[in-house]
Amino acid sequence: MNERPMTHDEALELAGLFVLGALEPADEAAVREHLATCPLSHAEFEELGGVVPALLADVELVEPPAALRDRIMDAARADLAARGRAIAPPAPAAPTPFPSAIERETRRRTRPSRFDWALRIAAVIAIVVAGAGGLLLQRQLDASQRFDRAVAAVLDAAAKPGARAVILAPAEGKQGRGLAAVAPDGTVTLAMRDLPATGGTQVYTAWVIVGSTPTSLADFTVDANGIASVITHPAPTQPGAIIALTLEPNAGNMAPTGAIISTGVTPAAPPAATS
Amino acid sequence: MASPVDDADRAVLELVTNGQLDALQDLYDRYRTMAYSIALRITTDPSLAEDVVQDAFLGVWRNASRYVEGRGSVKTWVLSIVHHRAVDAVRRRRPTTGLPEREDTPPPALTLPDLWQEVAGNLDREEIAGAMARLTDVQREAIELAYWAGLTQPEIAERTGAPLGTVKSRVRLGLLALRRSLLEGGTGADGTPGEGGPA
Repeated sequence: MNERPMTHDEALELAGLFVLGALEPADEAAVREHLATCPLSHAEFEELGGVVPALLADVELVEPPAALRDRIMDAARADLAARGRAIAPPAPAAPTPFPSAIERETRRRTRPSRFDWALRIAAVIAIVVAGAGGLLLQRQLDASQRFDRAVAAVLDAAAKPGARAVILAPAEGKQGRGLAAVAPDGTVTLAMRDLPATGGTQVYTAWVIVGSTPTSLADFTVDANGIASVITHPAPTQPGAIIALTLEPNAGNMAPTGAIISTGVTPAAPPAATS
Repeated sequence: MASPVDDADRAVLELVTNGQLDALQDLYDRYRTMAYSIALRITTDPSLAEDVVQDAFLGVWRNASRYVEGRGSVKTWVLSIVHHRAVDAVRRRRPTTGLPEREDTPPPALTLPDLWQEVAGNLDREEIAGAMARLTDVQREAIELAYWAGLTQPEIAERTGAPLGTVKSRVRLGLLALRRSLLEGGTGADGTPGEGGPA
């Protein structure tokens, strides 16, 4: 790559090759850097880039083999089962103990494990209904619909054998409530609402805390509607493990560094159905 | 303005974002033919094309949340990922070509908001083939080598014997002419200045 930054004219001359993805990596990076930093107009990039989708139609249509669908669905199914393992951060060499005050606060809020699992689901539905009832503005309605879909995903996950439902309540002075379903393999399906929007490099990080050892489950951002729908990768868990959300300054932290937003405690597995 | 198809696609993609396998199958069935045809044209290898389509739809499955509404339709997003992965696949077969570090980033065009993309993404083959035919031979060749053969600027220069700067101009002016031709409905609109007739 050249040492000096690319000039505006040089970048414009490369616009066609750039939008077709036909630049060498160094040139492509230089154009991207230019676009990110140059205050002048780059309308030609938009004009040329707008042509590219049309090129996609210039093909002779050929039907793929029927078996390809099964291959893709099998791969997606396997990915769902192992989702996140590849991106899971390595276990921290010296895990930072989670603040004991938080644990105390969380346990104070927690019902004993004999708290009926079905009641938890009913409570969740009540949250949804109560939340939806007060939403009058369209934006709020959209948010409510998104939350409904997120809750539906949690309920689906919670209905599976061995899954446990967790209510997440806001920490003292914070906003953000919702619910989670913890699968037997530790995958957590999470539906949250009322979360303040993230900004800049901020992310929410979901944690599972077993004893005093936190493990990062997922990083995610939230927009102005305050809704999050997340499926994490699997992580070791056990009854009594804390599911927590923190607001982190950036993604990829191995241990919580930011404010605790919301917590809940994983109950014992629901009793086996008896006839 | 979004069409009913776009709205339906977005609803399906949101379910994919939530990890719904049925939604992924739905999305695949909507675009499998286009996806495979694009991969086959680029790779010219049915087996590799299948791998590309599988890789692309797994990419959609894993990164559905990265779709940005307002920056093109779901259809364009999905098919551009197929194109992107197919080009990467053929470049990997050419050991002299460096691969850009952009495994999970959208292709460049997707970073560029342009309402006309919605129109362009819904043109049929006859229209785009007609517009391509109205380009000069050297412009058409340069665009096809870049987009369908996955060649980079130096590789196009080597293949065609043209200087790097000429390749740059042919692609840029060719795309401008193509845009104008498609917008005008195509009546020999190639009045592009700078480089003239067939090679």
